[in-house]
Amino acid sequence: MPQLPGVIKGLGITFKTMLQPNVTVQYPHVKEAPAPRARGVIALKEENCTVCMLCARQCPDWCIYIEGHKTKAPPRREGGKPRTVQALDRFDIDYSLCMYCGICVEVCPFDALFWSPEYEYSTPRIGELLHDKEKLGEWFETVPDYQAYEAGSEAKQKKVPR
Amino acid sequence: MTAITERQQRAYIGAIAAEARVNVELETEGMTLNIGPQHPATHGTLRIVVKLDGEQVIDAQPIPGYMHRGYEKLTEVRTYPQVTTLVNRIDWLGHFANEVPFILGAEQLMGIEAPPRAQWIRTIFFELARQANITLFLGDLGAQIGAITPVFYAFRDREHVLNLMESVTGGRFHPNFDRIGGLKDDLPKGWVEECKAVMVRVKGFCDQIEDLLMGNEIFQARLRGVGIIPKDIALSYGLSGANLRASGVDWDLRRDRDYPLAWKHADFNVITHPDGDAFARCWVRLQEVRESAKIVEQLCDGIPAGPIMAKVPRIIKVPAGEAWVSTENPLGEMGYYIVSKGDLGPFRCKIRSASFNNISVVPWVMKGVYVPDVIAILASLYFILGDIDR
Repeated sequence: MPQLPGVIKGLGITFKTMLQPNVTVQYPHVKEAPAPRARGVIALKEENCTVCMLCARQCPDWCIYIEGHKTKAPPRREGGKPRTVQALDRFDIDYSLCMYCGICVEVCPFDALFWSPEYEYSTPRIGELLHDKEKLGEWFETVPDYQAYEAGSEAKQKKVPR
Repeated sequence: MTAITERQQRAYIGAIAAEARVNVELETEGMTLNIGPQHPATHGTLRIVVKLDGEQVIDAQPIPGYMHRGYEKLTEVRTYPQVTTLVNRIDWLGHFANEVPFILGAEQLMGIEAPPRAQWIRTIFFELARQANITLFLGDLGAQIGAITPVFYAFRDREHVLNLMESVTGGRFHPNFDRIGGLKDDLPKGWVEECKAVMVRVKGFCDQIEDLLMGNEIFQARLRGVGIIPKDIALSYGLSGANLRASGVDWDLRRDRDYPLAWKHADFNVITHPDGDAFARCWVRLQEVRESAKIVEQLCDGIPAGPIMAKVPRIIKVPAGEAWVSTENPLGEMGYYIVSKGDLGPFRCKIRSASFNNISVVPWVMKGVYVPDVIAILASLYFILGDIDR
């Protein structure tokens, strides 16, 4: 019988681990909450979008489709001229192409795009991964507030426009 | 003298022919064996064509290219901020570490430097990526040799490191957190304390693996004295990282080069091993995780206050010029040679990834080894397919 002290020591570790509680989460029944910053799905606040197309141009794999038109809005003050505003006709994100890099959220100058940590939107059909602006607007309700920063940070605290 | 009958003649010829046949059968020709492209022990689709003489390897040729994604060409049609999201995917286990040399190269061309707070957080994330990468190696190593238990231990403890990454960057595997001139966002509140707690766990994992795997006699019998790479061979084949340090070469870019990163403020040892065999490579990696956890603990205590972003224009145009920056990534030396012509994106980007050079030593080291050792050597050389094919 060969001397195997190392094997016996290893078995001791296995035995100790066996007595510890389980770390596995039984997914569909139990869910882990992702971090608030987790990049799950992109949410759109339609009122803030000005159809500037920055997100669509900066997207590394061009998965954002935007269409819009100019309309006249009533003037801000009584007796003023009617304003020209951009109306959003179409805002689609194709999640079957999206790389979840977050560049669109970062470049948006008018706070219209946000990350939400929701992740349960898989579908049996690939075409259903194209989320239109209504669907993206629904995701906006799940956007969490920005977390406070660690001590020593000089970054400005951001706010989600609700 | 008796005349040989026709029948006798036939029998004689038949006997000679039979003997010749037996000789041909005994003198076995080399057998060609394909390991891969799909093989549980290759982390992807690396094909190795092995010529065997019985149980012994006479020749082994690695054939990469089954997962070529053309990153060097893709970077030419992307702008600088878009490139970081691509290069995350080169070595998918050392995600954040891939971004840093590219960003440093672009910053070098633009003549800017990230503020100290960004440098420290970058270094911390670099080391976290190293831990996530090598933790998985230590578990996977056991699985490839036949020990199943360490895999589950590795995935359990790597999860904590990935959660740390996710709570700051938003991505578990593809952080895309590094920007030219700094970082995308600052740390959330309470992260540093969490990070220190995870580092204790990572160290505990190292102790467990040391007892469970490295101290195991069967494991040592499989790896000790197998696939020895001497110092001069390792240097001439361009090995880097832990593979080179396991051959006794004291070489670590974190210590040897002066980066605008925070390694110079941390006190750590460069681990080397004189043996150069498969066991030495695994042992060096295990110790590196420990040192890495030590670096993170030291840096967490002294993150300087300040901004995380230097002043950079909103539309980034890198001035014309060429820059080469390489860092000590989890797998070895990884570098980017960026040629800029003053446009929005790089004109040409040469990516030097560690795994490609690390597996180039395979034909040399596999001459004369036995078939079971092939997998042990491949496992200990530790490559990521995305890092080979790019």
